[in-house]
Amino acid sequence: MSSVDLKIIAVVLATIGAFTLVANVIPQVESDVPPDIAFGADVSPEELVEVGEQLYQGAGGCLACHAESPGARGPNIITDYRGQGPIGVRCADRVPGLDCKEYLYQALVRPGDHVVDDYPLIMPPTDRTLTQPQIWAIVAYLQSLGGEVTVTGADIPDEDEAEVETDPALASTDPVELIQVHCLRCHVYEGEGIDIGRPLDDIGAHRSADELRRAILDPPSVVAEGYEDVVGLMPLDFGRQLNAEQLEALVAYLSTRR
Amino acid sequence: MRDHPFWQAILVFIAAWILVRWGIPYVPPLVGISSAPVPTSVELQYMLTVLVGILIWVSDNEVRWKRFKEPIRNVMVQPERKWMRVAFLVAIPLLVAFVTYDTVRPKVTAPVGLRSVHPANPTSITVDGESIILEGLENPFRAEGRGDEAYALGLDIYYQNCMACHGDYLDGQGHYAHGYNPLPLPLRGGGTIAQLTESYVFWRIAKGGAGLPREGQPWNSAMPAWEDFLTVEEMWAVTYFLYEQAGISPRTWEEH
Amino acid sequence: MRTTRWMWVAGILGGLGLLALFSPLGAQTYSPPTYGEDFPLIGSRAAIWIVAQTHLMFAAFVLGVPMFAVVTEAIGIWGKDERYDRLSKEFTRLLLVAYSATALLGGLFLFLLVTLYPALFSYLSEIFKVSMWIYAALFFFESATLYMYYYGWDRWKTGRAKLGHWGLGILLNVWGTAVLFIANAWLTFMMSPPSDVTPDTAPAMVQFWSAFANATWMPINIHRLIANAVFGGSIVAAYAAYRFLKAKSDEERAHYDWMGYVGNLIAIGVFLVLPFAGYWLGREIYEYNQQMGITMMGGFMSWLWIVQAFLIGVLFLAANYYLWIGLGRIPGGERFSRYTKWMLAVLVIGFIVWATPHSMIADRDELAAMGGTHHPFLGVLGLMSAKNTAVNLMILTTFLSFLMYRRANKIPTVSWAKTGTITQGGLLAVCSAVVLFYGVYGYFVPTITRIGFSVYQVLWVLFTILAVIGLDLFIMRRAESRGPIRWGQMPERSQYALFILVVTFTWLMGLMGFARSGIRQHWHVWEVMRDTTEHAATPALGYAAQVISVCVIVFLLMIAFVFWIGGMIAKPQLVPDPEPVPAD
Repeated sequence: MSSVDLKIIAVVLATIGAFTLVANVIPQVESDVPPDIAFGADVSPEELVEVGEQLYQGAGGCLACHAESPGARGPNIITDYRGQGPIGVRCADRVPGLDCKEYLYQALVRPGDHVVDDYPLIMPPTDRTLTQPQIWAIVAYLQSLGGEVTVTGADIPDEDEAEVETDPALASTDPVELIQVHCLRCHVYEGEGIDIGRPLDDIGAHRSADELRRAILDPPSVVAEGYEDVVGLMPLDFGRQLNAEQLEALVAYLSTRR
Repeated sequence: MRDHPFWQAILVFIAAWILVRWGIPYVPPLVGISSAPVPTSVELQYMLTVLVGILIWVSDNEVRWKRFKEPIRNVMVQPERKWMRVAFLVAIPLLVAFVTYDTVRPKVTAPVGLRSVHPANPTSITVDGESIILEGLENPFRAEGRGDEAYALGLDIYYQNCMACHGDYLDGQGHYAHGYNPLPLPLRGGGTIAQLTESYVFWRIAKGGAGLPREGQPWNSAMPAWEDFLTVEEMWAVTYFLYEQAGISPRTWEEH
Repeated sequence: MRTTRWMWVAGILGGLGLLALFSPLGAQTYSPPTYGEDFPLIGSRAAIWIVAQTHLMFAAFVLGVPMFAVVTEAIGIWGKDERYDRLSKEFTRLLLVAYSATALLGGLFLFLLVTLYPALFSYLSEIFKVSMWIYAALFFFESATLYMYYYGWDRWKTGRAKLGHWGLGILLNVWGTAVLFIANAWLTFMMSPPSDVTPDTAPAMVQFWSAFANATWMPINIHRLIANAVFGGSIVAAYAAYRFLKAKSDEERAHYDWMGYVGNLIAIGVFLVLPFAGYWLGREIYEYNQQMGITMMGGFMSWLWIVQAFLIGVLFLAANYYLWIGLGRIPGGERFSRYTKWMLAVLVIGFIVWATPHSMIADRDELAAMGGTHHPFLGVLGLMSAKNTAVNLMILTTFLSFLMYRRANKIPTVSWAKTGTITQGGLLAVCSAVVLFYGVYGYFVPTITRIGFSVYQVLWVLFTILAVIGLDLFIMRRAESRGPIRWGQMPERSQYALFILVVTFTWLMGLMGFARSGIRQHWHVWEVMRDTTEHAATPALGYAAQVISVCVIVFLLMIAFVFWIGGMIAKPQLVPDPEPVPAD
């Protein structure tokens, strides 16, 4: 090995060494993995709050948006939101008809339902990343911020049950009920609902049953005139949300609305 | 000698060091911008960058590089510079030895870390079995205009409990102060309680060193949790006293 | 007649298959384990990491070099410069050996994946099986094309045959790009699966095309294509540097000096575009999932960008250093050498600003003096406004170095040369002023507006670079020469700068690979398939840096071996002398 080779090796190793050194002198942080937790029926509120706080600040990723600093991406829920106090104080009043616990749970699992004014809907549904016990622990923690913790072990379903446990309305085959549960978030029907997609009152006059079925299962394939802007907003998973009986009931009902 | 690259290089290096060591902390305040000494880690980073820059400058031109190496070469080979050579041969290993010794010898200072002096406070704390929400909280004495009363009460409490560490002059230079690490904070000046709300100070008094959150770690503050010794009212009074005595006003809550 | 025979064969095979299905053997259910046994000593994660990363580095090399080869061959054909043609061929020869190293590492990677992460692999293969077959098939075409390209070099040397040969080079790039795009689909699917894929979706139900062309697929494709060209160029430069240092004759030295210059020019020139591709990728990641974006930029990975800043600073300094030393071998270069110290000052100050951390590491007294981890004065340098400004000025400075290099040995003959030069200077000055203005003004506006400023800064810099280079082409038309560049008269230390460049590029690739893969955190497939091994947490930077260093060393050792072998295949033909090539 010549001196040139040795010099090259020295330069290469010194460069690599410098980079490694720099990366080692800065603070070392490892990512958090959300702990797999299971609570018994007799879990204490303190336990729930502690786990919830860890999740909130760590692996849950909540703090990334819901931080205290002004200009954070989401509303400040831990210390104060526009002088109304932390979330535990105001959670019961956020949505009429929902108590604190129910509101928080819904806001975590279906963030789109209760977006705070002026904030864009950027929050992902937490049940994609967290288990049911973890979500309930976060609910408990949020309640503890200025409020009373009412989450108990009885609220927390087993992981398997969570899939089954659904709103009774979701199992209904009554088309009107199905419309209320699924459609009114974006369509107006009989004066109710939100005007984002095409109203459903006279839909049967414009669409055959086949088209309606297609529009529900594969929304982008059937576009209503004047609603081209909102193509892609409608969820693509109604094929999973509805069973065949429900789908057919809904299609049959809608196709008669003229 | 003035336009010799070797001496120019050394001059530039020293000038840069003076700028980093003294220029950055002391020049901006002259024009009214606050500043502070540069931490060693950053100083090291800056000086290394400057050193690399200087080495690039002396070696990016063949003539300059040759001239730069001249004095070094002379010291290394010329017979009449034997003593200088010997001096370097002794001094450099000594320097290395000293630096090594200095880095490994046991020290009393806390390890360098990203410890934050004023970590974020919790939303609420429990004192005397009662939950207190810190956000937006005012000193009851100040809110109710009972300042004189608070000052009198706080004065007694301060001298009975706090003075030994935080000092007669509230400058963190009490009798026992030097036995502690980290040192008791000075309460005067713009750096500590002047930046904080009274509820924050109340929290620090009530919960002490043991109550510091995770980002305040590695905590080894010896400050006791005063909730075990004082009543809520007494702690508010002493909080009021600190601001009065130091001649500063607390940070207020932003208007919503 | 033939058809019936095939039907027979198919029937028998089908029957056997049915038999297997219903036989007692087939009835036994075998459920494969989710994970294989942990890899000894270093663990499964580090094992798959190192192999994947080195495979990727080789892959980048074998994809980057054909791009390089085709461009240089084209210069050779249309610029009628024999040197470029030889350069191109020399590199294609190295490709032959590098190609098998890539394939071997790829095979190793596949086996590790199958044995250590069987569940993940079967999940991915269920979705992507067709593309996996095509992927493998493409290798046949690619190697065939490569063999024809290299071994046909001397046969199709002139006229239309030469153009056909160049077409083969293009084809080689087409295969390579296709291979890259397919593999990218798999890994981007792991990062950004379509949002309708949930943990409950059976892999067979995933729509192929939506999984294939997922949110980050195209940005990664473009980013990697550009980065491969950079990487190829820097390796070429390092190879040339090695040959230069080992050269025995002046001609050899001249040839490799020139080759190093070309490689470096391509690497740095293309590198300047890379941030845009990175910006696009980052934006797509944010758009796909806000949380993933925040993890990357502001979350636990935020310190990674300080390390990246350090590496990029090294790149800038080394690249400029090489150019400045190079001025010494150009007649007329001394006119410019007195400016280098001011440019160096800009670079050093830029580097200092660029690498100043927002939260500083400090001990107790220092923290007390600063009143927190943010320095009251230097804290402003920690913000993006300052950093963007610094890096844009560094890009402009580097560009200026290239410009000086270009002009050093030329005397313009056009009448408006002076006005042109002043216009160029004016453009550069205005651009610097605009960049500075936006940098300072950024402190007085809300964050949202400030983010927009970085785009303006970048657009200004790009526009200026294009305008100045365009102007320069006209000014230097029919320019007189001050004398030829004295290729080969380059101090040895300049060549070590090329080594620093290649190491830094390689390390940077490893670091960014860690960032891309690490933001998935504890997911194999983001929010679909969880990593449940003990290695689920994304490691801290220090550990990652050690693994990256191991990857870089392994890669450099292997590539050195490849070059050594390449040198044994054929020694001569490298030296650019007009005489017939001497036998070795």
